[in-house]
Amino acid sequence: MKKLIQFKNIVKEFDGQLVLKGINLDINENEFVTLLGPSGCGKTTLLRILGGFLNQTEGHVVFDGEVIDNVPPYKRELNTVFQKYALFPHMSVYDNIAFGLKIKKVSKDVIEQKVMKMLKLVNLEGYEDRSVTLLSGGQQQRVAIARALVNEPMVLLLDEPLGALDLKLRKEMQHELKKIQQEVGITFIYVTHDQEEALTMSDKIVVMKDGEIQQIGTPIEIYNEPENEYVARFIGDSNIIPGIMLEDYKVMFDDLKFDCVDFGFKEKEPVDIVIRPEDLDIVEETQGKLTGTVKSVLFKGVHYEIIVETVPGTEVTVRMNVSKEHPAASSDASEKISANDFYVDLEDVAELNDAEVIARADAQAWNVEDDELLSIAKIEYDVKEEIGTYPVTFTSAGGVSVTTKIFVVQQTYVENKKANEAISAFNIFKTVDDIKESTALDTDLKTWANAQGWKLDDEDAVVEITDVDYDFDPDHIEEGVYTVRFSTQGRELKVHTTDVSEEGAEVGLLFQPEDIHVMNKMGSY
Amino acid sequence: MKQFRRLTYPYIIWISAMIVIPMLLIVLYAFTKQGNDVATLQFTFDNFTKFFTDPDFLKILFLSLRIALITTILCVLIGYPVAYAIAQASPARQNFYILLITLPMWINMLVRTYAWIGILADNGVINNILQFFGMSPTKLLYTDFAVTLGMVYNFVPFMILQIHSSLTKMDRSLLDAANDLGANKVQAFRRVTFPLSLPGVISGITLVFLPAVSSFVIPKLLGGAGKPLIGNIIETQFITVGEWNFGSAISMIMAVIIMASMYVTRKLDKDNDEEKGKRGRAL
Repeated sequence: MKKLIQFKNIVKEFDGQLVLKGINLDINENEFVTLLGPSGCGKTTLLRILGGFLNQTEGHVVFDGEVIDNVPPYKRELNTVFQKYALFPHMSVYDNIAFGLKIKKVSKDVIEQKVMKMLKLVNLEGYEDRSVTLLSGGQQQRVAIARALVNEPMVLLLDEPLGALDLKLRKEMQHELKKIQQEVGITFIYVTHDQEEALTMSDKIVVMKDGEIQQIGTPIEIYNEPENEYVARFIGDSNIIPGIMLEDYKVMFDDLKFDCVDFGFKEKEPVDIVIRPEDLDIVEETQGKLTGTVKSVLFKGVHYEIIVETVPGTEVTVRMNVSKEHPAASSDASEKISANDFYVDLEDVAELNDAEVIARADAQAWNVEDDELLSIAKIEYDVKEEIGTYPVTFTSAGGVSVTTKIFVVQQTYVENKKANEAISAFNIFKTVDDIKESTALDTDLKTWANAQGWKLDDEDAVVEITDVDYDFDPDHIEEGVYTVRFSTQGRELKVHTTDVSEEGAEVGLLFQPEDIHVMNKMGSY
Repeated sequence: MKQFRRLTYPYIIWISAMIVIPMLLIVLYAFTKQGNDVATLQFTFDNFTKFFTDPDFLKILFLSLRIALITTILCVLIGYPVAYAIAQASPARQNFYILLITLPMWINMLVRTYAWIGILADNGVINNILQFFGMSPTKLLYTDFAVTLGMVYNFVPFMILQIHSSLTKMDRSLLDAANDLGANKVQAFRRVTFPLSLPGVISGITLVFLPAVSSFVIPKLLGGAGKPLIGNIIETQFITVGEWNFGSAISMIMAVIIMASMYVTRKLDKDNDEEKGKRGRAL
């Protein structure tokens, strides 16, 4: 196959912002190439540079062996199907398609012949005298394709041409476009953000992100061997699990070792692992390489999407004492100040500072008249690194003060050996108003309870607390004792299967070594 | 929205009292004899006969239409390139240029026209300059040239604004498409930009031709007493002569001419629209 187009280190800058960061890409003759990526990844910019509508800041475009950097668009041997078709509204279907030929001064009878042939190719026979403004989206699309193809370009550029069509029509046009490309036998360069469209039509997919190419490959390569987490997430559904490459053909994740077919990584290199949902099979608990609990079952038409939790999350439950009034709010005519008792872990006493104390006690001073918050001018506390109860006094700028208690305790925590993590949280003292006034209750509860999670084998590795549950209605809370539960997410794997499972069932998951796709961690790529 | 409909009542009453009733009165005056009171109306076509049988009036009508037509053509010729140039600028600059175009309109038209007297007069700015360079002074004021100049000066902003708005409404990607299909800048303009800006040109023509054909201030100030146009005749009939019936009749004749010309331009525009719908191919 002959190289038709070469992008050589294309850089594009808009107002000091790098939109393309050095693109190198070869496109062969008669290829259906798709530039795939989210909006803003630079794919349309690259296409417009090839079309000649934009000039690159650096680099060269080579077309059929010649550098075409300074060739204006109307002299380039390629045609474009624009995003919103850009049909000429003052012309009929026929005149739109004939536009390019008329410019080239082709004789009338040849124009007529070619236009009619094109109308046949795009299934629009008999529409030649219609106004383009009266056509449906799909028909306009076909006119746009015919208008470009009638000029017999060497390359057809298509800029998200199906974006404006509804799903059913889009699917039809996908097949039709592929058919047209095979029939006319020229290079198509297709820009889209739709991964399914890319997989269906392309010979070659170029995945782009932030002005850089992430991966180039056939649809099957891109799907089966994504080079990084980004590509894996963008193409198809996937389970992405952090792991460690132990040695060639051996990978470890969630503290379990597996055989795989990947090699060439450094020993003990942190990697991301992709397992496609359709590569996982649900089997008897005893026969699986992984075991877990079925969390949810969704019917998706052709298959079920089953979520299996292979590693349970960790949870810790604390008590929350809610009182009606602030325990020790003192007041004078104009200012009020309030604060709550709170617990501190013995280990954390050394790290306690003013800001931390204010946050944990939720100390606030405010003006009675207009409810404006005032600053807290002074904090006095004397906490020793011993278990016990210590007073803390907050004083506002106006001299009003309140004293609450700091309980220094030996913190207990919940260990989850299977997930290699632990979390802890303290009991909370709050007032009805505190709860009602909180605008982000989950985050506030985490702060008040000092809820934290960490890895058992590495105390500095933070494990995020993803869920906060409580047994009260924050809008109608009354005084009393409530429970608050903090939990982490375990490992959940998505399975696509045609066999249904029961929610809550204990199952095994089976997969083959070749179903494990090991990728570089993003950033090190 | 329905509950707001009542808010339009005062406006409807206003229109009826200030526009519809006076117009009906003009029609009534045009077809009646002078001096009769409302109780004893005497209908007549004399006012119209008088106008169409007097060659002087017909000549003035012809002159008025001719000057209005020349003004309109000049406005298109000047306005289109200006509007096109403005439409090529960046949006911020476009706003600035449009401001410059509309700025003179903030000043009273009478004042602006008086300024032209000072420029064009026998001892005015232009003739002074000519004399300074040793050339003989030319009569500029009180000529058709002065009237046409005054009209173009006053009405060209309407043309520019109309054409500009139709140019900026055009989808820029159409030009990309034309370039992509092999058209260079000139071809793209001729085949895409210009045809698509025609509606703006046509509404600009309407906006210029109508005031130009019935203007009486500009011909009075720049054309002088010897060069009355149809607007001046109407004014004289009402204010100086006191022939309200005859004045009303001329007004009606003008109204009919204006309506006819509007109908023709509309029709031209519509034909353009239909061309793309029905006639299809333009080989």
